[in-house]
Amino acid sequence: MSALLFYILAIGSVSCALLMILSKKAVNSAVALVGVMLCLAGLFAMQNAHLIAALQVLVYAGAIMVLVLFVIMLLNLREKGGLLTGRQPFIQVGAVVLLNGLLAPLVSDYVMAPTTGIALTDPATFGTVKGVGTMLFTEYLLPFEIASILLLAALVGAVVLTKNKKNSEG
Amino acid sequence: MNSMTGDLLETVVKIAFVIGLNLGFFAPMLGWVERKQSAVMQDRIGANRAGVFGFTFIGLLHSAADAIKLIFKEDFIPRGADRMMHTLAPVIAVVPALAAFAVIPFGGKFELAGHNVNLVIADLDVGLLFVFAIASIATYGAVIAGWASNNNWSMLGGLRSAAQMFSYEVTMGLTIIGLVMYYQSLSLVVIAEKQVDFWHWGIIYQWPAFILFLTCAIAENKRIPFDVPEAESELVAGYFTEYSGMKFIMFWTAEFIEVVTISALCVTMFFGAYHLPFISPDMLVSIFGGGDFGAIVAMLIGIGVFVAKICALIFLQMAIRWTLPRFRYDQVMALGWKIILPASLIWIFLTGLAILLGLMPTV
Amino acid sequence: MAIKIKKIEKGDGLTLWEKSYLPEIIRGLGITLSHFATNMKSLVDEFALGKGRDSRTIMTLYYPEEQPVIPPAYRGRPVLVSDKNGVEKCVACGLCEAACPPACIHILGGERDNGDRFPRSYVLDGSRCIFCGLCEEACPKEAIVMSDEWRNLCQYDRTKMIYEKETLLRSEAQVQKRLDFIRSNSFSRDRY
Repeated sequence: MSALLFYILAIGSVSCALLMILSKKAVNSAVALVGVMLCLAGLFAMQNAHLIAALQVLVYAGAIMVLVLFVIMLLNLREKGGLLTGRQPFIQVGAVVLLNGLLAPLVSDYVMAPTTGIALTDPATFGTVKGVGTMLFTEYLLPFEIASILLLAALVGAVVLTKNKKNSEG
Repeated sequence: MNSMTGDLLETVVKIAFVIGLNLGFFAPMLGWVERKQSAVMQDRIGANRAGVFGFTFIGLLHSAADAIKLIFKEDFIPRGADRMMHTLAPVIAVVPALAAFAVIPFGGKFELAGHNVNLVIADLDVGLLFVFAIASIATYGAVIAGWASNNNWSMLGGLRSAAQMFSYEVTMGLTIIGLVMYYQSLSLVVIAEKQVDFWHWGIIYQWPAFILFLTCAIAENKRIPFDVPEAESELVAGYFTEYSGMKFIMFWTAEFIEVVTISALCVTMFFGAYHLPFISPDMLVSIFGGGDFGAIVAMLIGIGVFVAKICALIFLQMAIRWTLPRFRYDQVMALGWKIILPASLIWIFLTGLAILLGLMPTV
Repeated sequence: MAIKIKKIEKGDGLTLWEKSYLPEIIRGLGITLSHFATNMKSLVDEFALGKGRDSRTIMTLYYPEEQPVIPPAYRGRPVLVSDKNGVEKCVACGLCEAACPPACIHILGGERDNGDRFPRSYVLDGSRCIFCGLCEEACPKEAIVMSDEWRNLCQYDRTKMIYEKETLLRSEAQVQKRLDFIRSNSFSRDRY
């Protein structure tokens, strides 16, 4: 049952991702990306990480992609040639693959390494709001705070960028 | 019957009940309520002509007449529109509206013939987050409808709905953090169970959260006074200008079901869910002689109370909808970002302070 | 000399209480809901308790089933009034014809054997009539009054809108309300 569900979600996410890359219309790509996000959320939920699944839908599929769509609609992007034309994209894709290949061992060493303290695999609290919350505010407090400062900086930057200089002077 | 098939059967029955209640009862009834309640509020009579052999049933048949008319109407897709997206948009609008009901408990937990029946389709630990996640998906219905119609009015409506719904999603999430702190849970089942005692109903300590949440929820549903995405005096009909027939019904249904969903959420979080004041479900079971019969009666009473409370809140929403004029677009955004968002942050702070000082004992 | 620009601060005229919005929303809800309550009560009184039409607070009529009550001041189709014998009161003086702004009245006078004057033919062109009521005011014999008839004033065929004397004749009882009204003070006071 769960294997079947996994394959459905996996195939769904991969095909949505392909659709996103190959689609000629920007909006279709964005909607396909939403599909990818939803399938990923389903995969998270299958791993009992309900909180992450809900947040995945709420933040990525819900909020961020709406903004992406908003921008696409605001700029009214028309049909462009497929992205996989010319040589340049291949270089980009190659670069991304290469970078991932380089970073993967580092990331996996750091992230996947068994941590001390609260057991990551404690079945009672794993994936629950309480479990993730406790983890976030004890074990991973520093990364959490750093991320929040990063977001704050982005927020301030956005305000500065959008502020009308003429009005602020006069 | 082993427990696996029993669970499956139970789930199927619950899903059928919820969908039947929404699509079969609430959606057509709300069409009638909207017409008749507005009429009575405005000293009018309201639609009363549709009838069968002279029986009009106080205008109830107008919903049926509407449905029949729209089903047989031409399904029109304008030239230059994106056919696939144009068809997809109403589906995206309806499905999340229905899916949000999966985590809302509608009757409590009972033991029936040795089988534990929990009257909620999915008892999720992150129930509230699930509702918000689903609500955020509903945005795409309006946005894609606006984009796919190849119509300037639709486009503007889609843009407005994207900005408005996104803004109010953020705010809506923050408005109920205070409530979550009070109940110490995100699970709607747990929140509902904690309101057995009348003095623990959300509205008593968390009434500011209720006002803020209701405002955000109505804005999220794009109904008057927040209906700028479809403002008929400016944008013809906004994002669904180019929709007709069944697709139009689907947008209509989605709006009505969202009204029900908002009411159900408010009932679950603020008005004691399926509980009668001062009477717990266990007391009800024992009053009706205990056992299976008592459980069934208590279950039915619980469902009835829940539906009655939903109806009362629908009445309130309709009254608001027919009382207030539409906001200007900048007013909508200013209200969301400059008033409700800071107000909910202040309320989170105050709730935290009150809990810390012991003024608001958590349940 | 530079022109001094005077800036006028134009407030929205709202008090702080009104600007806080929520109390005003609640007040608005109070108004609409009180209307709802009174109207619901009246509807229940009328249809469930059978107290009848008078208890209704909603002014709308269930039109074809319920007919509107036409007030006496209403100016419908001008009609000729007959006396007790069923003969028109009109003496064919021609004052109404002269007073009529759109000239829709055409009278052909005649004389009876006893010397009374009477209209040999009295034609009122309904397609020209503007329902001003000047004919009624001009008439010295109360022979033409504005009735409360408002149906069939419009026709697809213009010839059907030209009324002859016979079709315009009404008994005094039929237009009694209008006669009472034009004899009353309120009618004359409003005019002169």
